[in-house]
Amino acid sequence: MTYDASAREDRGAVPAAGGERTFWGRLASWAPYRALVQLATATPRRQFLILAALPVLWVLTQHLGPMLQMLRVSLTDAYPVAVGTEQHFTFDNYLRFFGDRLFWMPFFRTLGFAFVFTLCTLILTYPVAYFLARHVSPKNRMLLLLMLLIPFWVGEIVRTYAIMILLGNTGAVNLVLKWLGLIDRPIPFMYTSFSMGVGIVYLTALYMLLPLYSALEKLPKSLNEAAADLGAGAWTRFRRVTLPLTIEGISSGCTLVFLISTGFYATPVLLGGPSTTVFAETIAGFFHVAGDEWPTGAAFAVIMFLAALILTTLFQKLMTSLRKGDAK
Amino acid sequence: MSKLILNRRKLLTTAAMTGAALASPAYLRRAHAQGGEVNIWTYNDFVPAAFKEQFEAETGIKINIRLVDDQGKQFSLLAAEAPNPTVDIMTVAGHRFLQFIDSDLLAPLDTDRMSNWGNINPTFSESDWATINGHKWGAPILSGMEVLAYNTDYVTPEEAESWDTLFSEKYKGQTAYVIQDMMSIVMLMKGYDGNMVQYLGDPEKAEAIVKEARDFLIEKKPLVRKYYDGGAEVQQMFVNQDIMLGHSWNGPAAALINDGFPLGMSIPKEGSYGFVYTYNIAKNCPNPDNAYTFLNAILASPEIGAAMTKASGFISTYKGASEYLTDLEKKSTSFPDEQLANLQFFRAEANEMKYGFVDPAVEAIKAA
Repeated sequence: MTYDASAREDRGAVPAAGGERTFWGRLASWAPYRALVQLATATPRRQFLILAALPVLWVLTQHLGPMLQMLRVSLTDAYPVAVGTEQHFTFDNYLRFFGDRLFWMPFFRTLGFAFVFTLCTLILTYPVAYFLARHVSPKNRMLLLLMLLIPFWVGEIVRTYAIMILLGNTGAVNLVLKWLGLIDRPIPFMYTSFSMGVGIVYLTALYMLLPLYSALEKLPKSLNEAAADLGAGAWTRFRRVTLPLTIEGISSGCTLVFLISTGFYATPVLLGGPSTTVFAETIAGFFHVAGDEWPTGAAFAVIMFLAALILTTLFQKLMTSLRKGDAK
Repeated sequence: MSKLILNRRKLLTTAAMTGAALASPAYLRRAHAQGGEVNIWTYNDFVPAAFKEQFEAETGIKINIRLVDDQGKQFSLLAAEAPNPTVDIMTVAGHRFLQFIDSDLLAPLDTDRMSNWGNINPTFSESDWATINGHKWGAPILSGMEVLAYNTDYVTPEEAESWDTLFSEKYKGQTAYVIQDMMSIVMLMKGYDGNMVQYLGDPEKAEAIVKEARDFLIEKKPLVRKYYDGGAEVQQMFVNQDIMLGHSWNGPAAALINDGFPLGMSIPKEGSYGFVYTYNIAKNCPNPDNAYTFLNAILASPEIGAAMTKASGFISTYKGASEYLTDLEKKSTSFPDEQLANLQFFRAEANEMKYGFVDPAVEAIKAA
């Protein structure tokens, strides 16, 4: 590839129609600016650095920054520091988790819920993605996808309240069941793991659907046709052809949904009940109910983050080995 | 929450209040044309809409409200912004003062800068909890209490005379409460001091009492429908008939009663706790002069106190505010004398020890 920065700058300096030079034209012909551009774009390496600077800065300050700050707080004995006291470095906040079984229950419950809800989301959205990618004509696909996206135009809280309206004692589901004569008294759907599961599956469905749709859409129809010609039935074709070849989409979707499910806070608070307390609620408790136990909350958040990271890494490795196994 | 069930009557009441405020004498003229803004963290409906409009028009000071729903969250927000907060005025409950003062987050209140300070009922402004380290730290605006709220179509007033009903098999799966608040109430039920001031010199005893209350709530966990955190949540559950009775703050319960919902509330015979919301000035706040102008203005007349009660359901601390309430509003914000005799105020002296034991207990109950 050849690159001629000076030629590009010269084009920028061309006067606008009417003979008057634009601001950009004047800037481009300004000697110090030209020298700076020349210096900055002289090599592909410098061009890359300039292009990458803003995104890298964004990631460092907006993504890594808060996490590092949380890590720092988790290693202190007090935050905010009370008047007349000093902050000290300590691992006690981490030891508190490992030393007190009390916190293990919401921790493992969260991982268990996240696993089950991810599986439910996969089972529910795979047929939808399959139908969209394989049976809907290309001209109608965008329309259907758009319809599926409509609920995601509003925020998480609004959609959670929608579930409350649906599943409440005086909600639509109970009203319909009562109207059909199937029940005399409302079924208490709300404030259970069921209502929480419905909410989380609803909120995360899109993150599963899109990777699955993408993977299924790329799958050539000829492969299934060939399998059919060789005598494979519908179930065999799905099990031996479609499923293995969409494992990348399944892997991406499951990873996204699992990670999001482990971090949900508002939905479990609003839809969950006394026996569905998740770890995010425990963490939040240290930040606002107790009010002055930020370091413990921060340590627990780091533990959850690391656990989710380890589990998804293992899951990704499993998926990769499955893909490789199929390739052989 | 009241917005969810806004009806014609409430709309007319609001319109009438706005009209009355606009027609009322100018309380605020002395602070004319000051300009700027004042940033307030407070609960929903604690700054009456009509007052806000009038204050802004007469002083030129724009009121920016950020809604909060929890004392702890407010503390965390302020702690994160210290030592240069964006807020001027917060709404701290009297029994939470110490936590804020210890962390150097509040500025002492200069009551000499508020000519209307005397409009507050001295029961609230001069209480023992109101003065700490020789200073006043907040202007009392509304008073609340922990009550047993119940759907009058299903629960009788006799049943609501005892907290035991909240833990009865009869109402299994139809109750809700705030765990942290219930810990203090369960201590009262068991005959202990829920403020834990009596056990300041005996932390072992305090720990044992908290453990007893914790074990009781864990044992009764199968009976409860929901642990909640905010007033709007309990209102929602009553309206949706998800619960028939529950622990509540009197404000959200009174707001439902005023909206015509078949709700009653009581201070059960085992006793309960009261608290006072105060407006406080943040240390190093950006607009201290405007903050004092706001505080003095909001204390200007009993009508404003009554408007706060109408909107929030909590009881006004202003002298003579009840004269501006309707009969229904008076009823929803008052209790029989024999019930009031069971009430005591939350105290802060033992908070550090108390919450050192209670907070892990709350987590244990949730996790169990």
